[in-house]
Amino acid sequence: MSNFDTSQRIFRFSSSEAIKHVILIFGALIVLLPFYVMLSYSLKAPAEIMQNTGGFFGTQEPFRDDYCIKLGNAVADCMVTPWIYNYQTAFEKAPLLRYLLNGILVTFSIFFIQVVIALPCAYALAKLRFWGRETVFALVLFCLLIPVHAIALPLYIMLAKLGLTNSYAALVIPWTISVFGIFLMRQFFMTIPDDLIDAARMDGMSEYSIIWNVMLPSAIPALMAFAIFSVVAHWNDYFWPRIVITGNRDLFTPPLGLREFKGDADGDNFGPMMATAVVIVTPLLVAFALAQKRFIDGITLSGMK
Amino acid sequence: MSQSRVHLWLMAPALLLMLLILIIPIFAALGLSFTNYSLGNSGANFVGLQNYEQIFTRTTYQKMFGATIRYVFVVVPITVGLGLGAALLIKSLTRFGDLYKTIYFLPVMAALIAMAIVWEFAFHPTIGIINSTLEQGCGTVLENWGWYANGCERTFPLWLTDRNYAIWTVAFIGIWQGFGFNMVLYLAGLTSIPKELYSAAEMDGAKSSWERFRLVTWPMLGPTTVFVVTISFIRSFQVFDMVEAFYPQGGGPSKSVYVMMFALYEKGIQQNLMGIGAAITVVFLVFVMLLTIVQRWLVDKRTHYV
Repeated sequence: MSNFDTSQRIFRFSSSEAIKHVILIFGALIVLLPFYVMLSYSLKAPAEIMQNTGGFFGTQEPFRDDYCIKLGNAVADCMVTPWIYNYQTAFEKAPLLRYLLNGILVTFSIFFIQVVIALPCAYALAKLRFWGRETVFALVLFCLLIPVHAIALPLYIMLAKLGLTNSYAALVIPWTISVFGIFLMRQFFMTIPDDLIDAARMDGMSEYSIIWNVMLPSAIPALMAFAIFSVVAHWNDYFWPRIVITGNRDLFTPPLGLREFKGDADGDNFGPMMATAVVIVTPLLVAFALAQKRFIDGITLSGMK
Repeated sequence: MSQSRVHLWLMAPALLLMLLILIIPIFAALGLSFTNYSLGNSGANFVGLQNYEQIFTRTTYQKMFGATIRYVFVVVPITVGLGLGAALLIKSLTRFGDLYKTIYFLPVMAALIAMAIVWEFAFHPTIGIINSTLEQGCGTVLENWGWYANGCERTFPLWLTDRNYAIWTVAFIGIWQGFGFNMVLYLAGLTSIPKELYSAAEMDGAKSSWERFRLVTWPMLGPTTVFVVTISFIRSFQVFDMVEAFYPQGGGPSKSVYVMMFALYEKGIQQNLMGIGAAITVVFLVFVMLLTIVQRWLVDKRTHYV
């Protein structure tokens, strides 16, 4: 009898579970659709893309690269394998490598400066007692309300007046102050016991060395989360680079490079364009796959407000 | 505590940058919005409220508000609803929950500009995967649906280039991109609900899962919901990447996708009409600040109960 009961329960249980899986799998298919399209098109030949044939990988049959023939090469030398052609063109037609390096340089400069500026302020707000502390903290809370993208025009005018548009500085300057970083690190520093700091002071450490040698090492989890938050936001940012970088390709970040590619893509370039998209999207997705929990914590940190 | 002024040195760089990068630009925008300033001109004339008058009377800006409001009021409820739904489903699973979580979170991580370009392919009227999939359903029971039969007879929608569909297609992509973010916020909120509350509710006669949701889950998720709704509003008000990628000029068919951030970019950067651009900035900031103040107020009101 009891045996019957359990089997009944397991059956009921798994049928409702099965319905949930059906719904979630349907959702997952829609979510994954563009990733599938992107990866598939980055592997296929132009004709296969246009006619929607060849399945996911395409047939990978060599096709004739017309541009190569236009350059006066023999037809036999101009036969290319689709996936190699797509990725090779992505890197050769535009300086994609340069864009990637720009992206890395800009994202990491932003993060580095944000930390150098925000940490001392967060420390002062969390651990020092002084007149006006509440006012400063209120100011931080107010500044949390301001979306930097929204005030892009006055910032752009300021940078233009300083002659800084089309420079790395323009890409970095508006993001040097992260009020969110200050807020976050202050909340974290609050949880660090005062005894630790007092002991360090007894040892004769200056406030600066307390910040970098005592507070920073103990705040690594919060800092990691903030790093992820910051790097994801600025690697993917399109709006601000679009405004301050006009024309000078040497300064393009990956999103701008991809957008430029789209601008002059004709039918033959769909494959290489998708290859570029894959190259730009992959680093973060791989990092995400490796450190999922940290990423989700980092991105949702803003939920701690 | 030492009487030193070390705190001033520690805070000075941050305060200075806050002032220069966040506070002054707000006042600059406010000031500029009363002028006809253009970059490169030596001066500017004071034009009073003329810029605001244009924003609230001209049809271009009516379209701007129309597109923004349509987008925001479709994307926010659906991303919040889907986020909550996905979180509840995933939380109740015994296995594979983490796998779905990972998949649904992927769009949040991927550069929107890249994914927007991919979606544009998928929605392409002739070679796109969406219409070619729809065509395969022709001749089946689906044709009983008027819209579908119509699509089979003539053509399926042009999606991004049809003014009746464009804004909704863009909103769909926005939903696709954003709901995973809300899902993880809700998952965090669900984890913090004490299990005892469910047993207590059950003892009080809440037998069905809907009753348990209504009596325990939903009220306990209140603060999370307030936050999720606010952040969804702020994020969707800032929609730009897709619109610029799809419609570099003009904001889509009949300006039906002329959202605020794009208008700001077009007027201020492309056309160098800084006065009008600044006025849009001010209207935008007022929206965002009002929203956040309402959120803070709601949160404060709630904390009295806890």
